[in-house]
Amino acid sequence: MTALRRAHGLLGTPGLIGAAILTAVVGVAVYGFLLPEGAGHARVGTPYAPPGPGLPLGADDLGRDLFEQLVVGAGTSLSLGFLVAVATTVIAAVVGGAAGIGPRWMSATIMRGIDIMLILPELILFILAAAFLGQAFGIRVAILALILWPVPARVLRAAVLTAWSRGHLEVARAMGAPRWWLLVRHGSYLIGPLLIPVFVRTAMRAILYDATLSFLGLGDPTTPSWGTTLYWVQSNGVFLSEAWLWWALPPGAAITLTVLGLALIGIAVEERLNPALKEANSS
Amino acid sequence: MVQTETPAPTERGRRSYGRYTAGRLAQYAAVLFIALTLNFALPRALPGGPLKLFGSPEALAQLTAEERAQIANQYGFGQPLHEQFFTYLGNVFSLDLGMSLSQRRPVMEVLGEALPWTLLLVGTSIVITALLGVTLGVIGALRRRKGKGSGLLGGAIVFDSLPQFWLGMLLIVLFSVQLRMLPTFGAVGPDGVVTIGAVAQHLVLPVTTLTLTGFGYLFLYTRSSLLTVLTSEPVQHAHARGVPYRQIVRRHALRPALLPVHTIIMMEIGFLAAGSIVVETVFAYPGLGRLTFNAISARDYPLMQGAFLVLTVMVVVMNAVADATYPLLDPRARAGGAR
Repeated sequence: MTALRRAHGLLGTPGLIGAAILTAVVGVAVYGFLLPEGAGHARVGTPYAPPGPGLPLGADDLGRDLFEQLVVGAGTSLSLGFLVAVATTVIAAVVGGAAGIGPRWMSATIMRGIDIMLILPELILFILAAAFLGQAFGIRVAILALILWPVPARVLRAAVLTAWSRGHLEVARAMGAPRWWLLVRHGSYLIGPLLIPVFVRTAMRAILYDATLSFLGLGDPTTPSWGTTLYWVQSNGVFLSEAWLWWALPPGAAITLTVLGLALIGIAVEERLNPALKEANSS
Repeated sequence: MVQTETPAPTERGRRSYGRYTAGRLAQYAAVLFIALTLNFALPRALPGGPLKLFGSPEALAQLTAEERAQIANQYGFGQPLHEQFFTYLGNVFSLDLGMSLSQRRPVMEVLGEALPWTLLLVGTSIVITALLGVTLGVIGALRRRKGKGSGLLGGAIVFDSLPQFWLGMLLIVLFSVQLRMLPTFGAVGPDGVVTIGAVAQHLVLPVTTLTLTGFGYLFLYTRSSLLTVLTSEPVQHAHARGVPYRQIVRRHALRPALLPVHTIIMMEIGFLAAGSIVVETVFAYPGLGRLTFNAISARDYPLMQGAFLVLTVMVVVMNAVADATYPLLDPRARAGGAR
């Protein structure tokens, strides 16, 4: 009970709800990893079977278990979101840090580059790159990380600049410490916590974009995922029949819940880091 | 930033405005160049070269001699890379994007038919999203202590998490299949007759999908921007002078709070244009997005590249239009101070 209260004090009600949702999705994903090989894309029932014993959510047009697709999809989505978020946060921290403390020409070049990247629509780039370079899991992660870094890099650069003007850093700088060492030794406790919301938001966007890509038929055909299930919904016109209840509703709700859980955690962490924001939100 | 030539001694404000515009133009030129380079490089980055694009050896063997010649001409096989690039640029600027492999017509012709529909869909969505997001954001900031404000905040966060394609499907299930109020597919009536009523009816659900998934970010940004201004010193000073609250909001808070929102609206343009690919697919709307999807399914790479290029140009042009209006709103940008 005290643990719950402490968590509540740390994250607030929305953050706690988010954490609960995410924990549930992680639990489902772990269960999915324990399922035997081929779960969700082996033919187990009759095509278009409605929900019944052994098939909690029925089967799709090829007789594949929709419940298994849902469970395995949780693992696919979460691991992709996690990997993209790690890669993007690292790129954003390095680029944002360089733009914050590097020489002026470097900073100017990076910022203009970011401005240009921000005009190009992310999703369109992602679709084009995936269409040409392939749909394997690793390739999708790499493309997403290369497309998603500019916004977080800009956020982190602003954070570096704010930290840079703090008194103790100015003192240390006056003593002649090298810039990178200063940033890591004296600035990281100010900037480090900001990596959490950056990480969470990137994971959110990666999961949504990847689902969209799979929905457009550019997903990895060998792994079940929520977006791919919805691709078959679309190409079979499922929402014109009553099958949409067990076929279209669960994967979409799963995407929404996962992204919502991450969003709530992100907001909670941001408020925790920036009490002024919380005051503005509640007072 | 591109440094312009030393300007003729004119009015100071006018000169800086010119430099601001020149800088932005250079930026858009860079965006277009990158889009063109990506379009050029991606097919060549394929392991196995561009001919791999045309599928299996059997599919390749089925191509007619004319099509082979066209492909070879378009991709400039055998030439050095930089010459291929110049050939490519020359083709693009003479509006020759090759032949669509699935439709067996010039890509440009196919795109020309689809573009007006996408402009209609995305344009309508931008206007409604901007109005809705900003209005609700202002309400959310002013009513933050009350139920209405927190309800809006929760709603915005939930809508922000919905995948566009899934929301579109749910709207079809609810309004077209269950309630039979609105049409499911396409852009015009069943007999292909274009009437304003039919076009508007077919626009309702796609625009709703784009707006509902797009307004959340704008709402959150407007809300926090206005909240920041409301706690700023000039506004507190106005409070102390006894200016009525309504007047404070209208005269002292709204304008400075809404200026940065302008930038977010420009980012929404890209989001909505990309969203058109998804939404047009769900609603079988005959625009560029649907065309992109069909091109992906048919592995029709020339058409895919053309659609990508036109969508990007559309986003850049819309951004430039929105950008050109910014100095009219913000006197600091006219004076060259806002970077």
